[in-house]
Amino acid sequence: MSQPDAVTAVVPGQRRDHPDDPARRRIPPPAAWLPALTRRRWAVAAALTAIGGLALLVRSWRIDLFGFNSDEVVYAGQAASLAGNPGYADLFPVFRAHPMLFQALLSPLLRVGEVGMGGRWVVAAIGVLTVLAVYPLGARLYGRRVGLLAALLLAVMPYHVIVTRQILLDGPMVLLSTLTLYCMVRYVQRQELAWYLATAGMLGLTMLAKETSVVLAGSVYAFLALTPRVRRPVRATLLALPVLAVVFAAHPVSQALAGGSNSGRNYLVWQLFRRPNHPMSFYLENVPTAMGVLLLVAAAGGLWWARRRNGWRETLLLSWIAVPVVFFQLWPVKGFQYLLPVAVPVVLLAARALVLLPVPTRLRWPGRGGPARPVPARAGRLVRLAAVALVASTLAASSWDAVSHQGSSTFLAGSGGVPGGREAGRWITEHTPEGSVILTLGPSMSNIVRFYSQRQSYGLSVSPNPLHRNPSYVPLNNPDGWLRNNNLHYVVWDSFSARRSPFFADRLMTLVRRYHGRVVHTEYVGAPGASGRVTPVPVVVVYEVRP
Amino acid sequence: MIRPTPVPPSAAVPRWARRTSLVVALAGLALSACPAAALARPAPTPSASAPAPGAPAPSPRTTTPVEHFVFLMQENHTFDNYFGTRPGVDGYPKDVCMPVQRGVPEPCVTPFHIGKLGAIDLDHSAEAFRVQYNGGRMDGFVEGVSKQGKDGRMAVAYYDERDLPYYWNIADEYVLFDRFFSSSNSGSIRNHMYRVTGGPGAAGKAETIPAQGWGDIPTIFDRLEAAGISWKFYVQNYDPTITFRSRVEEENIDRGAQVIWVPLLAYARYVDDPRLSSKIVDLDEYYTDAARGDLPAVSFIAPAGNSEHPPGNIGSGQNLVRALLTQLVRSPDWSSSAFLWSYDDWGGWYDHVTPPQVDRYGYGFRVPALLVSPYARRGYVDSTTLDFTSALKFIEVNWGVKPLASRDAKAQTFLGAFDFAAPPRPGVLLSAERVPVAVHRPDPRPVYASYAVAVGLVAALVAAAALRGRRRHR
Repeated sequence: MSQPDAVTAVVPGQRRDHPDDPARRRIPPPAAWLPALTRRRWAVAAALTAIGGLALLVRSWRIDLFGFNSDEVVYAGQAASLAGNPGYADLFPVFRAHPMLFQALLSPLLRVGEVGMGGRWVVAAIGVLTVLAVYPLGARLYGRRVGLLAALLLAVMPYHVIVTRQILLDGPMVLLSTLTLYCMVRYVQRQELAWYLATAGMLGLTMLAKETSVVLAGSVYAFLALTPRVRRPVRATLLALPVLAVVFAAHPVSQALAGGSNSGRNYLVWQLFRRPNHPMSFYLENVPTAMGVLLLVAAAGGLWWARRRNGWRETLLLSWIAVPVVFFQLWPVKGFQYLLPVAVPVVLLAARALVLLPVPTRLRWPGRGGPARPVPARAGRLVRLAAVALVASTLAASSWDAVSHQGSSTFLAGSGGVPGGREAGRWITEHTPEGSVILTLGPSMSNIVRFYSQRQSYGLSVSPNPLHRNPSYVPLNNPDGWLRNNNLHYVVWDSFSARRSPFFADRLMTLVRRYHGRVVHTEYVGAPGASGRVTPVPVVVVYEVRP
Repeated sequence: MIRPTPVPPSAAVPRWARRTSLVVALAGLALSACPAAALARPAPTPSASAPAPGAPAPSPRTTTPVEHFVFLMQENHTFDNYFGTRPGVDGYPKDVCMPVQRGVPEPCVTPFHIGKLGAIDLDHSAEAFRVQYNGGRMDGFVEGVSKQGKDGRMAVAYYDERDLPYYWNIADEYVLFDRFFSSSNSGSIRNHMYRVTGGPGAAGKAETIPAQGWGDIPTIFDRLEAAGISWKFYVQNYDPTITFRSRVEEENIDRGAQVIWVPLLAYARYVDDPRLSSKIVDLDEYYTDAARGDLPAVSFIAPAGNSEHPPGNIGSGQNLVRALLTQLVRSPDWSSSAFLWSYDDWGGWYDHVTPPQVDRYGYGFRVPALLVSPYARRGYVDSTTLDFTSALKFIEVNWGVKPLASRDAKAQTFLGAFDFAAPPRPGVLLSAERVPVAVHRPDPRPVYASYAVAVGLVAALVAAAALRGRRRHR
């Protein structure tokens, strides 16, 4: 990344600060902590309130339409188990694969009774906080307009909206990664050791939300390596790394003190050597549409049409994007929500691009001779406003569609709740005796059934080979023997798992037939047929079985 | 979520409740149509015998809320053999030691856990009973077996919760009888006859099925049939071709035993009359009947290979009982059911309680017996003196049919094992593991403390950085 001169490195309204503007050192900074808020504070506050309200609306709209998915029930179950909720303590171990920062935050809400939607509301609130946190970050990088526009784009970005409507670790992780980015920007602008240490501490906290965010340390490194004008004190790094380690030590230390298991370590080993769960094209097929194609085009286009203004800011944001993208693309395990930390730098770049959208100052009208005529400044503003409206409205429409859909018989993990899972689990609670044991097709539905029915359940497709299964899952070495000995009383088939693993779906149905399976309950979703009429499609079927 | 097929009401509302609701609705209709009659009717007053609030009213045809009675007969164990080491029951006396020879205290054998030793089919004929009973001295258990050329020490071997986890779990949750005797002091044929007729069947010494069958000896099913009360005899691996006419003496166990364990198959009228023979069915029908909520009022069950008859595997017997109970607990009929199972004779095993001799045929030694019902008292040990005719007595009392013989007429029944004042308990599928898996719950305090320290540290770092910057710029 080239280092442009101080004049071209800023966008309208942007403060000129170190290291792009050495003169900035002589200019005393504004008195307030968030300088952008000192001017026209009321207008900014009103705009942020409106954006926050919009963000909350799309994150909470019909938030309980579908029950939790497998990851959600695991995290909610962990939190409830940590809080000692008797309904979950026996079914969900406290320690599984990830650190417990978010689960510990959630657990006081889940101490008694059935775990409801409270957890999703907490994540939605965290999502709104992330939207609001983008403003000071954007304002500090590019000024108020970019800050507000970036916040608006994130508020309605389907990718962020979808993920922050679920009890996943990625929502809280992105809030903390945004704060890490903010600390990093402060460090670059101030060149103060304190902000460097704060960045390290905040990154440690981000890793406590989800340990995969350690890749952002690579982003920091890449940025420092590519930006020679930013001070890179070795001694400061020697101080920062222990800070990061001390903060992250909360995870292993708490596990050791609480008497936890080795499942975390085993999980890491398994993740390192497991087979790919998605094709290499997974992210390309799913993430760009979820982020918004126009938004990505704007972000990329901005880097081109404002290339003369590119500087350390863009290097930082691109590092924040490139390192996770490269890492997770190469990592065999892929998940829809894994690239969420990229969303914040993308909206910042897109907002910058829209603010800097080039509009010709002089235009020769077709069919009219003579010299080119100047384009009024108002027309330029209108063009930019239209571009902003176009991008924001397409994002908002996609988000609205995502939060309003009625469900289907297919499901992508991390993309929302599972249709019929909650209802089937509750049916099992109400209509099966206590002590019933359930066999499901896969571990995901097993988690959901266990969570909502509070019955023990096992996934047929969980491999008995410890090298080929998530160490958190308990395999059934001989499901046929379990059924023959009356240790399994119900079998649950679901279309989502069946589509993913037809082999095990076939085996499950063989067992159902062999053990006198009798349909006792079915959950449906409406699917439009060829004629356009909505017809019910079974997504979860509960069979009663006996030896 | 689309729900084109609502949950069938049978799965959610017990039958007695549906029936009661219907009666109440009809009564309400009648009263509304005739307001004068309603006004003239005296206000209902609470009766001492009325069920407690929440308890169901008995069906018009039963004197208790039990509308489905299931009676399974397993094979050949004594109470001490299965539950002698269980605390809180009349189990093995302290320091018991069974003489190898009657009347000679030493040497003797103390009861021991059977462990990996395989069970053997101990002699359990009338002669074996005579030796083991020894005129009430109860000191011939080892000799009674060893006289037949088998290892007599096996008579005092026992099983415990390690071998019978499910039965012991059932005893924790429901009712275990510790004075339940086999009706006859001989083998299977008489005991099974007591089970269905209240009498020994063949009189005299001979314990055989007559060549012409049991003739006109009345059975409980005759009584039920006459009263129009539904019944079925479920038979595991039922083969309708095996009857008293086709049975071969030599094939005693399983196939030939079908005629012993299902005495109706030694009655010409039950074999020849299609109406009656259609009620003797394969055990598979039990599962479908229970699943549909179509269990008859009275069900008798006879096992085949899963009878626990030594040297058979007691684990497979447990599996059978567990499967039957699992289906009953899942059935819409559960809330109005009672399931009793016992063992047809003592099988040659030791039991320390001297059986009362109420007539020349018995009682025999104690046998295990357990009752599972939504009304069964929880973890209750019933010490009422009972035998197989007590089950007949229960049927007769509950459905108001006449006794069959003097034994069942005089027998006590197990009404005390129920608590009809309480509402029916929801069914529980008990584990086949005796010791539940201990769930280790980590101490949450270090978790909260560690993360709070981490958050606090980062907050302090950020605050320090921000304050330091502000101070510099002043």
